[in-house]
Amino acid sequence: MDRGDDAAIEDARRGDRDAFRALVERHGRSVFQLACRMTGNTIDAEDIAQETFLKAWREMRRFDGRASFGTWLHRICANCSLDHLRARNRRNISSATAEPGAPDPMEQIAASSPSPERLAASAQVAAILGPAMGRLSDMERAAFVMRHYEGMGIEEIARALGVQSGAAKHTVFRAVQKLRRALEPAVRAAR
Amino acid sequence: MMHLSEEDLILLYYGEPGVPANARAHLAECPDCATQARSLAATLDECKNWPATEPAAGFEARLWRGVAARLPEKESRRPRLRLFAFAAALASLIVAAFLVGRVTMHTAPPITAGLSSQARERVLRISLADHLDRAEILLTNLSNGIAPDRGRAADLVSEGRLLRSALMTSGDTGTLALVDDVERFLLEAANEPEHPADAEMTTLRRRIEDDSLIFKIRIIKSNLRTRGQQS
Repeated sequence: MDRGDDAAIEDARRGDRDAFRALVERHGRSVFQLACRMTGNTIDAEDIAQETFLKAWREMRRFDGRASFGTWLHRICANCSLDHLRARNRRNISSATAEPGAPDPMEQIAASSPSPERLAASAQVAAILGPAMGRLSDMERAAFVMRHYEGMGIEEIARALGVQSGAAKHTVFRAVQKLRRALEPAVRAAR
Repeated sequence: MMHLSEEDLILLYYGEPGVPANARAHLAECPDCATQARSLAATLDECKNWPATEPAAGFEARLWRGVAARLPEKESRRPRLRLFAFAAALASLIVAAFLVGRVTMHTAPPITAGLSSQARERVLRISLADHLDRAEILLTNLSNGIAPDRGRAADLVSEGRLLRSALMTSGDTGTLALVDDVERFLLEAANEPEHPADAEMTTLRRRIEDDSLIFKIRIIKSNLRTRGQQS
């Protein structure tokens, strides 16, 4: 746990609003950014950040310190974002889909240090990535963000999405396949 | 061994279980699969460079203002109960005004004079959303294993029944069904012993989850507030 968070968490648990305010100000931005990645909308992301901290206030006693406070907040934020996406889908009737020892060969595939040309090409890929993420369904985008940026495992994603792990896995597969199709030409050019 | 599928490579990239037993050995030996894995890894690595969106200026202050405005009042138990009783009384008054307004709409409504039927509908929606807010907090506590405040649950039952009467007049059957569902759980919470057995709490919690009750409350609440703002 972040040393700076410890005291504030203890005080916030006892109902100290100033301590909780310090936590809101310290973690608000990263919570907003996660909500923004999940929903693709800055206005929704501000609402979700607010919901996240309200829920965190109500559940402070349940925070046991096994994960960092930031990680715990991100889990709450991911769930609030999903609630928001489900509500948005219902309102819009959108088109969301259901759904040791030897060196690791995947690690050997790691990229070498980037050259200036490659950095420029990476910026181009980043410019394509935003719209490509926008073309994913809400559930694909949420599942991909949870897996790729938040490091959540398939089982945890399945619980958050309220689906079987097989469905969660296929949602991640679809997201990766769509992103790969959109990005691969630019990535190839960048390498 | 057959070549690895794209799904296998995705699972390998993320270190997820479920890949064929010899996948890593195959990847080390098979140039085609290694090329595919490199290509996938390059794309997914690039995704990590996706810049995070920065919020608009003044975000932290705005966020705190929004959160602080919705934090429960920090008061002793007795004043909180008084506040709750006041809220319930206010809801009763609003519902009574709504009903009288409905009944006497074509004469000269004495209590709702000056309030249009649209305004009365709006007041009802706001009262309902507030009622559902309070019910959601109690049910969320219950589903987190916190023993219910029986007095508060009983107050919510009374408040819900008043609102129910107004809802029956308004014809909003979806919200009416939810208020009925919520009342069942509130009644059980109000009638729980002071120290409920773990098994009882677990059963109640499971039923709240099975019914997706809290999720339904949030949806209806959000709709009520949206419609309240639009009207």
